Amino acid sequence: MIRIVMAIVLVYAVSVTNASAASKAVEAIPANAKCPVCGMFVAKYPDWSATVRFKNGTTQHFDGPKDLLTCYLDTTHYLPGKRQADMVALGVKEYYSLEIIDPRAAYFVIGSDVYGPMGSELIPFKTEKDAQAFKLDHKGKRIIRFNEITLQLIRTLN
Amino acid sequence: MKTTLERHLNILDFTLASLLRRKGKNLSLLTIYLLVIFMLASLVFFVTALKREAAIILEDAPDMVVQRLVAGRQDLVPTKYAEAIASIRGVSKVRPRLWGYYYDGLNGANYTIVADDDSVTEPESAMIGSAIARSRKVTVGDLLPLISYEKVPLMLQISSILPAGSDLMAADLIVISSEDFQTLFNFPAGQATDLAVTVRNPKELTTIASKIAQLFPDSRPILKSEILRTYQAVFDWRGGMTVILLSSALISFIIFAWDKATGLSAEERKEIGILKSIGWSTPDVLLLKFWEGVVISLTAFLLGVVLAYGHVFFLSAPLFAQALKGWSVIYPSFRLSPVVDGYQLAVLFFLTVVPYTTATIIPCWRAATADPDTAMRS
Repeated sequence: MIRIVMAIVLVYAVSVTNASAASKAVEAIPANAKCPVCGMFVAKYPDWSATVRFKNGTTQHFDGPKDLLTCYLDTTHYLPGKRQADMVALGVKEYYSLEIIDPRAAYFVIGSDVYGPMGSELIPFKTEKDAQAFKLDHKGKRIIRFNEITLQLIRTLN
Repeated sequence: MKTTLERHLNILDFTLASLLRRKGKNLSLLTIYLLVIFMLASLVFFVTALKREAAIILEDAPDMVVQRLVAGRQDLVPTKYAEAIASIRGVSKVRPRLWGYYYDGLNGANYTIVADDDSVTEPESAMIGSAIARSRKVTVGDLLPLISYEKVPLMLQISSILPAGSDLMAADLIVISSEDFQTLFNFPAGQATDLAVTVRNPKELTTIASKIAQLFPDSRPILKSEILRTYQAVFDWRGGMTVILLSSALISFIIFAWDKATGLSAEERKEIGILKSIGWSTPDVLLLKFWEGVVISLTAFLLGVVLAYGHVFFLSAPLFAQALKGWSVIYPSFRLSPVVDGYQLAVLFFLTVVPYTTATIIPCWRAATADPDTAMRS
């Protein structure tokens, strides 16, 4: 049994390695990048990372959608010298596919039993159907849209 | 500073001379000591290297394997299961796999047959492991006949031989197309041996596994983490068995060493008495005995570890291979990549060298504090 598993693994290893190498190249986060909201290293949690791109081309990484949204709603506090209007692109990782999606179009599930690096999270989904399925599977409380998110709501998650 | 060093050097010099004086006795002690350390260190090296090898291989394993059970035993999975599983949220890919064993009557060996249409595109061609090539004396371009379940020979042209670097899992491997696989084993169409499921988000694995179990009550999802854990346990268990076998040797060594280290012979007692009467102080005598213990145990430890390293990583551990690698007619001749676990070596050091050295000192301290006159007379 042991050797057969190894053998099969070997046969598929090449294709799998190639695929994962390709996806890693896209989402490379510098090892020393710190989340400006909580101060944790972002590269440790690649499945949760969220990114903001500014007008001048620089980027800022966060270790979860919650911290990105906190920073978005209170930019001057966490990133002195930057304004919300400077953020030209936002990206969070969709839960099922781990693809980067725009949070402004996403559906978020709150109150679920899935926790991010910073605890209770807003779990992002591309479609409402996915969000509903997730809410059912993981005992989520509510599905919310981007414009419903306030600092106050985020505070209730913490 | 210089005098302290000189004192140590002088005493060490005396120690070596005195050890040489009782050559036979000390050499036999050193040999047994060396043997014990060699066996234990070999085992530590071997199990650590095997575990790492398995972990490296399993890194690319599918996130989940789904099997089907019939009456508690593994059975073929209908490929339509794959479509249903693929539609579960969070599953990025489901791949039906075809694999099995083929018994070769010619050399009494079992081959592992895997169907992979991506690496073998032409029908009636095969990629084979290096051990099969060796035992059947075939190379690239030759024909390898396998007898199908219909008793019809299937002539496979060898397109390539798998690199020897992956021998542990590829030595007895034959990769053929799925069409040939079905011919060879009279394998029903629309069925697979098991399903390899890829899940993008590892957090979702357990949810998906429970959904699969709900959807198909006769299925058994196995997570990669479970496979990894089983491997670690298997290697630990086998290593443990070997330790139990070795423990009798270890215990007899301990008894022997304890006897040698704690009991001072009358001759040694006399020697200590003479040393004291010609002006050696008690610390000097203790230092002498300390160096004696260090010389013997450190030599045995270092030599034993070096020999074990060679035994495991250059000779592929011929002493344990049978017990630890499993049973098969075709043994993969593979070389483990060296890994040395400093922590385990330190444990070995503190379990052997330190107790031995301290055990030698205590009786000497008792003899050395006695009156030299009594020591010489007794």
